[in-house]
Amino acid sequence: MSMRKRSKPGLKRLRQTVATARIAACAIVAATSLCAAAMADPGVQFKDQQGRDITLKKPAERVVTIPIPAASTFIAIDGKTDRLVGMHERSKTAIMDGILGKIFPKAKDIPSDIVGKGFAPNVEAILAVRPDLVFQWANLGDEVVKPMTNAGLTVATFNYGTEELSQGWISIMGTVLGRPEKAKALIDWHNAERAVLEKKMAGLPKNKKPRVLFFLRVLSELRVAGDGTYNDFYIGLAGGRNAAKEVTKFKVVNAEQVVAWNPDVILLTAHEHKSRPEDVYNNPVFAGLSAVKNKRVYKVPLGGYRWDPPSQESPLMWKWLTKVVHPGMLKDDLRAEMVEKYRFIYGHDLTDDEIDSILLLGINKAQANYSQFARK
Amino acid sequence: MIEAEKLGFRYGGADWIFRDHSFRLPRGAITAILGPNGRGKTTLLKCILGLIRPTEGRLVVDGVTGYVPQNLQSPFPYKTFDIVLMGRARHIGFFRHPTRADHDAARDAMARLSILDLADRPFDRLSAGQQQLALIARALASRCDLLVLDEPASALDFRNQAKVLQALARLSDETGLTVVFTTHAPQHALSIAQSALLMFGGSTYRHGSVDATVTDENLEALYEIPVRNLSFQHDGRNVRTVAPVLV
Amino acid sequence: MSAATETPDRIGAGARLPRYALWGGAVAVLAVCAAYSLGVGRYPISFERVYGILVSHLVPIDTFWSVSDQRVVELIRAPRVLLAVLAGTGLAVAGATLQGVFRNPLVGPQIIGVSSGAAFGGALAILLFSGTSAILGLAVAFGLAAIALVYWMSRIAGRNPVLMLVLSGVVVSAFFAALIALIKYVADPDDKLPAIVFWLMGSFATATFEKLALVAPPIVVASLLLFAMRFRINVLSLGDEEAEGLGVRVEASRWFAILCVTVITASVVAAAGIVGWVGLVVPHLARMVVGPDHRLLIPASALVGGVYLLVIDDVARVATASEIPLGVITALIGAPVFAILLRKTQGSGWKHD
Repeated sequence: MSMRKRSKPGLKRLRQTVATARIAACAIVAATSLCAAAMADPGVQFKDQQGRDITLKKPAERVVTIPIPAASTFIAIDGKTDRLVGMHERSKTAIMDGILGKIFPKAKDIPSDIVGKGFAPNVEAILAVRPDLVFQWANLGDEVVKPMTNAGLTVATFNYGTEELSQGWISIMGTVLGRPEKAKALIDWHNAERAVLEKKMAGLPKNKKPRVLFFLRVLSELRVAGDGTYNDFYIGLAGGRNAAKEVTKFKVVNAEQVVAWNPDVILLTAHEHKSRPEDVYNNPVFAGLSAVKNKRVYKVPLGGYRWDPPSQESPLMWKWLTKVVHPGMLKDDLRAEMVEKYRFIYGHDLTDDEIDSILLLGINKAQANYSQFARK
Repeated sequence: MIEAEKLGFRYGGADWIFRDHSFRLPRGAITAILGPNGRGKTTLLKCILGLIRPTEGRLVVDGVTGYVPQNLQSPFPYKTFDIVLMGRARHIGFFRHPTRADHDAARDAMARLSILDLADRPFDRLSAGQQQLALIARALASRCDLLVLDEPASALDFRNQAKVLQALARLSDETGLTVVFTTHAPQHALSIAQSALLMFGGSTYRHGSVDATVTDENLEALYEIPVRNLSFQHDGRNVRTVAPVLV
Repeated sequence: MSAATETPDRIGAGARLPRYALWGGAVAVLAVCAAYSLGVGRYPISFERVYGILVSHLVPIDTFWSVSDQRVVELIRAPRVLLAVLAGTGLAVAGATLQGVFRNPLVGPQIIGVSSGAAFGGALAILLFSGTSAILGLAVAFGLAAIALVYWMSRIAGRNPVLMLVLSGVVVSAFFAALIALIKYVADPDDKLPAIVFWLMGSFATATFEKLALVAPPIVVASLLLFAMRFRINVLSLGDEEAEGLGVRVEASRWFAILCVTVITASVVAAAGIVGWVGLVVPHLARMVVGPDHRLLIPASALVGGVYLLVIDDVARVATASEIPLGVITALIGAPVFAILLRKTQGSGWKHD
């Protein structure tokens, strides 16, 4: 029975071989599936607002923003400025002049010489910061995009002016930066607030909706926001009627037309730095206006971005405007909500002074019904 | 009346249009300036009028000159009377307007030339001869001492040539007006002028009485073709003219 | 004895009265247009209220209008109507003068560079300073500078022939247009730039009595000087040599006229931006009625110009809710009107072969 003696060491070797083979097979399978996974992984893919397909291997680490509001949107999504490597000069002044400059002081070091006049890109300056992606306006034609794509840069374009487009910015930024959850949370917040306000104002009869007039410029000329503007959208949302409905987009009008419209509430933009409600009150031509008689001329707040154009903070604007146009109708505490939202968006705890500054309390507190925004 | 001493003119550094011309044009006489086109007749006229300054030499014009151009340059269809009235500009201040006296002067000038009936007609609707008379009336209205005309009869048909030359002769006779005119037709000089200045170009010229200067030789030298003086009897007077040998 | 040989300036009897009646009638038309214009606008005010407001300044009467009514009539419409009339008369007189002095139907204040120079001056003033007096001062200064440049550029052998004047005007206009583009480039896009762009396009929308107080005197004085020169302009229109031959100092007269034109144009530009086509078209309209004699043409142009620009501005401010730049409208209306004029009259009012 020497065969049994010979099979014991053979079996052991067989077992060892099978074990090795098993390990090898597992390794091969693992390696193959990893490779497969790697090849099947699409990275970051989205369509920009001209319908272009944009692909990045992975979420962008270095982004340049040319449209002025885009830098602020970026910061809102990322919660920090590290990955923003270039922005428009006016984005920087907007940031440094407002609350974002205080929350993110390092923003002042971000290169901002990347654009010439009129949004034409300074391609060499942009190449010098080695971006993974550049954001540019869609509506200025190819001449502001082609120089960059020709230099091998990836460019995604944005359009501007409506709530849908604004949410598109948020969503695209979320995808680009690998933060889709934050983008979704912001968008959900926008839609929820809008639904609440639409429901509230649904049954409001026309004569209970005050006439609201927004001045894009009031000093050098009288430029108002007519039908089809974002301002028109949220005036309606806030339960008002756009006094300038008969003109479209932003148009220059003469003083007599303003008197004819007789707005009940007048809004001034923070964009025109020097304008103040007093400029309207002191104009003798406007002495008979309802908004002047009732001291309802307000300057729109300046938060992470100006609140009058579309931005990530727009629902705060809608709420602010509703409380201005219909004081007492909403019981919400705007200040508390600002604190909550700024913590979520920027990771920052707003102080009372900062809230006062955003709401332009210094300028607006003399106007009617503004005490509702004062600190408790 | 007009005294020139070694008068010369050229534009910049170009060739001399005329040079070294010395002459004395008498008062109360009619002087014709003869020469083919481009020899400087109009340039000399402009010097006399003071429109351009001579490059060298001395020029003394004793009295107010009245300029009668060959035709009107203005694009506006003024009435003939208004054209004549403008002759009074010399006497009307910077911000002033024609007075009754100015109107009378214009009317008188037109009457003297028997064209008063043309007063209301647009100037550009007049015949060439009527226009020339109106321009003469304008110069007259300015109460000038010296009438200076640029080719007054050169572009006119015979009848109008006659009208204009007769008017000039009559003016000189009746008022003692000094007249200087340029022409490329020697018969104009022979008809009414007493003195003539022939411009050959450069420094060459002849000046003197019409009889002395408008000779066959001078004319041939001036126009570079043979020209003959002719005379014949008409209505009991001697009529002098010239005939060029054209062919 | 025909009407042409009578003295048009002297008061007389009989045959001369209809002429004065005609002029009086024309002035009355202008006055009526102005009064009517006070009653039109985007803000509805009945005519009774408008005239009530006006009369209340002479005779105290009970107020039956609102504060806004009064403000609109007194502070918006009244200065605007006055400015439109002033600008219309000034520009028309300037245009008629230039057409006579340059003997050219296609000449207006833009040709000799004044508009561009004044526009540059105003833009510079908006960029560096604020207030209408700065704009007026710099507009006149650079309007004169433009003219001085044109003078210097076009001088040949001690004279400025008309062709060289026009060519130099074109060059100087282009030069100042480039400078204006430079100003627009460096201007702050948030407040200075829109102010400059808005002003350049031309508008009476910012008319106030303060502005009128500044620009009315130069316009009125310069226009009156040109009016006083109207016979001399006749003589100048004959041509340089003839005019000299008639005893007129052509250079001095021409430059004085151009100076007055510059003051008028710069003042209008200072108050209202660039308003073109008025100085070009209105003299032709007036010439169709009164003929080429500048003794009649200058005052006729003034009256026609006042009504013309007033009516255009009325349309501009009433037709739509948004304010259409005046320069756009004067071009849109002026060019076809000019074309129709040329066709209808086939160039009469000017000699043709």
